[in-house]
Amino acid sequence: MRDRLTLSMRASHLLALVFVAAALALAAIGAASGDTFYLRLGTEALIFAGLALSVDLLLGYSGALSLGQALYFGIGAYVSALTLLKVPSFWLAMAAAGGATLLASIVGGLIANRVRGVYFALITFGLAQVVAKVVYNTRELGASDGMIGIPVIEIGFGPVSVSAGNPVGFFLIVLAIIMGLYWLTAYLLDTPFGRVLTALKANEKRVPFLGYSVWWARMFSYVLAGLIAGLSGALYPMLRGFVSPELMFFATSGNAVISVILGGVGTLIGAIYGSVLLVLLKSIIGSWTEHHLIVIGVIFMVCVMFLPKGLVGFIRPRIEERLLAGAQKPAAPSFAPVRLEAGSAKP
Amino acid sequence: MNALDYLQFVLAPQVVNGLALGVAVVLVALGLTIIFGMLDVINMSHGEFYAIGAYAALALGAAGINFWFLLVLVPVLMVPLGMAAERLLIRPVFDSRDRHVTTLLVTFGLALVVEDLLKVAFGPNTQRPPTPIPGATELAGIIVPNYRLFLIVVGAAIVSGVAYVVYRTRLGAMVRAAAFDRNMAASLGVPVALVYAGTFAFGVALAGLAGVLLAPIYSVFPTMGRDFILLAFTVVIVGGMGSIWGAVVAGLLLTQVQALASLVISPVWTDPIVFGTMVAFLVFRPQGLFGRLGHA
Repeated sequence: MRDRLTLSMRASHLLALVFVAAALALAAIGAASGDTFYLRLGTEALIFAGLALSVDLLLGYSGALSLGQALYFGIGAYVSALTLLKVPSFWLAMAAAGGATLLASIVGGLIANRVRGVYFALITFGLAQVVAKVVYNTRELGASDGMIGIPVIEIGFGPVSVSAGNPVGFFLIVLAIIMGLYWLTAYLLDTPFGRVLTALKANEKRVPFLGYSVWWARMFSYVLAGLIAGLSGALYPMLRGFVSPELMFFATSGNAVISVILGGVGTLIGAIYGSVLLVLLKSIIGSWTEHHLIVIGVIFMVCVMFLPKGLVGFIRPRIEERLLAGAQKPAAPSFAPVRLEAGSAKP
Repeated sequence: MNALDYLQFVLAPQVVNGLALGVAVVLVALGLTIIFGMLDVINMSHGEFYAIGAYAALALGAAGINFWFLLVLVPVLMVPLGMAAERLLIRPVFDSRDRHVTTLLVTFGLALVVEDLLKVAFGPNTQRPPTPIPGATELAGIIVPNYRLFLIVVGAAIVSGVAYVVYRTRLGAMVRAAAFDRNMAASLGVPVALVYAGTFAFGVALAGLAGVLLAPIYSVFPTMGRDFILLAFTVVIVGGMGSIWGAVVAGLLLTQVQALASLVISPVWTDPIVFGTMVAFLVFRPQGLFGRLGHA
């Protein structure tokens, strides 16, 4: 079966392969030159790419704009940090962060999914803001300073182990996890249940007439997005050795939304490209002025107004055309449906 | 301490302070709710327009312009700014498929830019203009700063004035008609494009006016808008998006909840309580206290 979504996801997968190749090249160059700075920057971009991925899952598929996704990112980071301070185990920290964000996103989902549209955006915004303020004022969680002194851990895979302090090794682990989350999301969207999610964005009123529960679909996508954000957040203290309430603030959620818009809404891989692009922009602009938000804000506004599909949304249709042309060649011409699209009339 | 003393020295001052904050929140929420009710646009940069108003008051006040004159001058200066923002940012995406999300994102971008521009222009530090009306008055045994009394009175006057214009004048009828059915309004001769731009500018001017009025109490700093906007949005949601009376009732109610709750529990937890009130409203009465403006 070939439909638009399968085709566009295949195009996304191609772009994902390009991304992984580029990341591996960076890792190889970094390992050869003994660089730490760019690898660490790249790792951070990947971690925030996970957060952006979760925003895109909500905005691009079920059509719900979350302005507080940093809440789950922050919960993941804090739980991971607390676990690592007690037991320096990578797997335990990831499991604890995953469990905590799962619970938190179920609670958050029960609240936020009562409403939709702008109310959903404002509720998620408020939820994150309130929890961030509570964390900011709780002395046990380090209050406004956050928590420091999280140990550098050894990440064990059976007999082999990699130190989180090793820039190349940790970069590769984060790359594997984030791309794994990308693959998982893409896979779930390709299942019949995933199609219900896409149907929500297209026409929510018709979904119940087809026998599907809107509430469950919205809830599932919300919890999945929370989990993705939480697992990405859990990696943050391993990289930086500290967590701070800023991780839950609106700036973090806002950056994820900016990444998704820059990269392309509803493309999944766009969120990852967007996140890297944002980090690049920030470090380039940041090298001549500390007021980089002016430039990023302007780029963001221009993007929303004139390039609403973002970078990947601009590139992907061209790849889709290629894929379509490639797929149609072996098919018998008498069965091929007539397509009146630009580029499909090639001999 | 007996009950009467508690009432006079603990409860009453808290209620009055809550009232002053309530008026402040209502002033900010008023512009927000008008822009939403009339234009169906979520203005995420509303807090930044409020900050611009406060900074304009600070800068012009430092240049020697009288506070009373600023109360008129700053909102007037905000009008072209609001018109330009509507023309350049809102109108191009006004007819996009998902207007709510698109306009929210565009104004969010604007908020980022404005906040950083304010930092460039005025520095990151907190500043505070002098209080225009010094001193305090004793009212029934409670000592209230004069400026807060003034704020409560002026705030009430502004809200009544706005409500009068929107609900009782020909201009207000035109605006409500344009919000209700813009094609019908246009065919009856209402200049819809101008009405939309004017409404947005009016909301922005209200935010600027709130900035001038509140700067002497709450200080001026680049992120002041962001800190205030959550409360303002909460008020707008609880009151019913787009309802003027809803914003007034919800604003006063929520700030009283906040003020009185902080007597009993740590002030840290008042935000969750206020937010919890909003959640409860969304669960049991999603349309808010009152219906939408122009959508009776």
